[in-house]
Amino acid sequence: MSLLEIKDLNKCFGKNKVLEDINLSIGRGSTLGIIGPTGCGKTTLLRIIDLLDNPSSGKILFNGVDITSGKDAMNYRRKMAMVFQKPIVFRGSVFDNIHYGLKVRGVDKESSTDKILKLLDSLNLSGYEDRDASTLSGGETQRIAMARALITEPDILLLDEPTANLDPSSTEQIEAIIEDLNKTKDLTTIIATHNLIQGQRLSDEIALLNHKIYQMGKPEEIFRKPRNKFVADFIGMKNVIKGEVIEHTPENLSIINLSGTNIYSASSLDGDVFVTIRPEDITVSHEKIEISALNELYGTVREIKVREIKETINLVQIVVEIHNSGLMFTVYLTRKSVIDLNITIGTSIFLQFKATAVHVFKSS
Amino acid sequence: MSEIINGFFNALQLLISLDPEVVTITLRTLEISLSSTLFGTLISIPLGGIIYFKTFKGKRVLINVIQTLYSLPTVLVGLLVFLLLSNEGPLGSLELLFTPGGMIIGQTILILPIVTGFTIIALSGVKDEIRDLAFSLGSSEFQTLRAIMREAKYALLGAVILGFGRAISEVGVAMMIGGNIRGFTRVITTTMALETSKGNVELSISLGMILLMIALAISVILNLIQEKK
Repeated sequence: MSLLEIKDLNKCFGKNKVLEDINLSIGRGSTLGIIGPTGCGKTTLLRIIDLLDNPSSGKILFNGVDITSGKDAMNYRRKMAMVFQKPIVFRGSVFDNIHYGLKVRGVDKESSTDKILKLLDSLNLSGYEDRDASTLSGGETQRIAMARALITEPDILLLDEPTANLDPSSTEQIEAIIEDLNKTKDLTTIIATHNLIQGQRLSDEIALLNHKIYQMGKPEEIFRKPRNKFVADFIGMKNVIKGEVIEHTPENLSIINLSGTNIYSASSLDGDVFVTIRPEDITVSHEKIEISALNELYGTVREIKVREIKETINLVQIVVEIHNSGLMFTVYLTRKSVIDLNITIGTSIFLQFKATAVHVFKSS
Repeated sequence: MSEIINGFFNALQLLISLDPEVVTITLRTLEISLSSTLFGTLISIPLGGIIYFKTFKGKRVLINVIQTLYSLPTVLVGLLVFLLLSNEGPLGSLELLFTPGGMIIGQTILILPIVTGFTIIALSGVKDEIRDLAFSLGSSEFQTLRAIMREAKYALLGAVILGFGRAISEVGVAMMIGGNIRGFTRVITTTMALETSKGNVELSISLGMILLMIALAISVILNLIQEKK
């Protein structure tokens, strides 16, 4: 059974629908990244999960128990802990701040001292216990916030853009803490972030949110197969093109018209669709060639740019304008291929890609 | 003019020599005003806390009413408490009219609006994030309210001192409920009113100076609090 389940959840502020039909389920010990642009409803969703806000409709189930009504909210909040986007502390020392969650649970200072000092040590904050919490930097405050949340050993840790206000080195420290936490077997983490790279690196599963969940799954699956245009655009997919399925062949292929250029795909969808072809799945040649790839387009190179990927492999990004339709295709080639094929701006070339390399999805 | 100057020097003499009457009146004044501030605080801060914390219909109106009552005329409170405590009144059997106890009740009522109102203002000054933070860390409503009050403690202290200032400087309640009985309910303000009308300005000036010193002390304390913040 999932530790946390969200069913058909909606939230409106006046006429403004902030969350729509949210359905999520998170297993114990896993990390879910909720990724979306600023203002997409991430914070609202986390606040609703932490019972700080009520949903307009829908259910939140904790260990199978419906906790939506807010009855017994305090006891369920005590099974969770949240780190907010804006670094904030209570008046008082770092120690007092971290002790707060224990204090409200009736644990006195003396019996929590060891635990707090140990936690501070593990977060590289040894010696901070007596410092006035309000004098700390943003990064330090956010690490204190992590400690304050973790000291109560929550079942669910909610992190709302924990690094959004931090400098790169503080961001790195917080990410390292989260990575360490991910190894903790029983801790379930939900991290909201607008940063796609951070979200996918820190999470077992990601949900792409923009008022509703556009896609949820393992990061690699979402990067391979975006299910709609929002996801494709958000993850920075190249070659996302609108088209229309005009025919299904007996070989289980479909022919899609892209502004006058027809291509084959292995999809079974109908009607208006979007297609995307990963730039590295496209090959180029000077001559028309007989290969297994069903799609062959002819165009002219309009742009050449060197892309540095992980500093080791130099890829060259070329943009090709397809004759007749004017569609622009982005293709990645190695530097060697570009030199061997003598590709320059204005060179006319053939592009080839397999029908299976064409990923097709509906517009929403 | 010479009368004023003579009055001033005689007043200084009364102060320096710790004139028994001046000391008695000052101590009685502090006793009554500090007591009413204590009771006023015990009622107003929780009351302000509840009003701030709870969402209910008419909250805005209630806060407006409280703010209007900041300038509640002292004689009106005096009249109200007089009617309550007089023999014919509902609390007549307590025999508190013309006693320090009655004065404390009157001054407590007088300062309730200002302390309650400034409690609400003090709590509103605390960021909403503190409330969310306390709740998210597992606080009950009461524990959250306490956390918010802790954040606002200096502003709350300011509200209390403001209440004390109003209690110690008022004359209407003290006169109408206390009756200005020498050695019993006579306080600084009522003595000054009486003695000045009798032409005995030395005592009035010395008591006036004491009131000013208390006001100065209040202002110093407030400034220290501000600096600490």
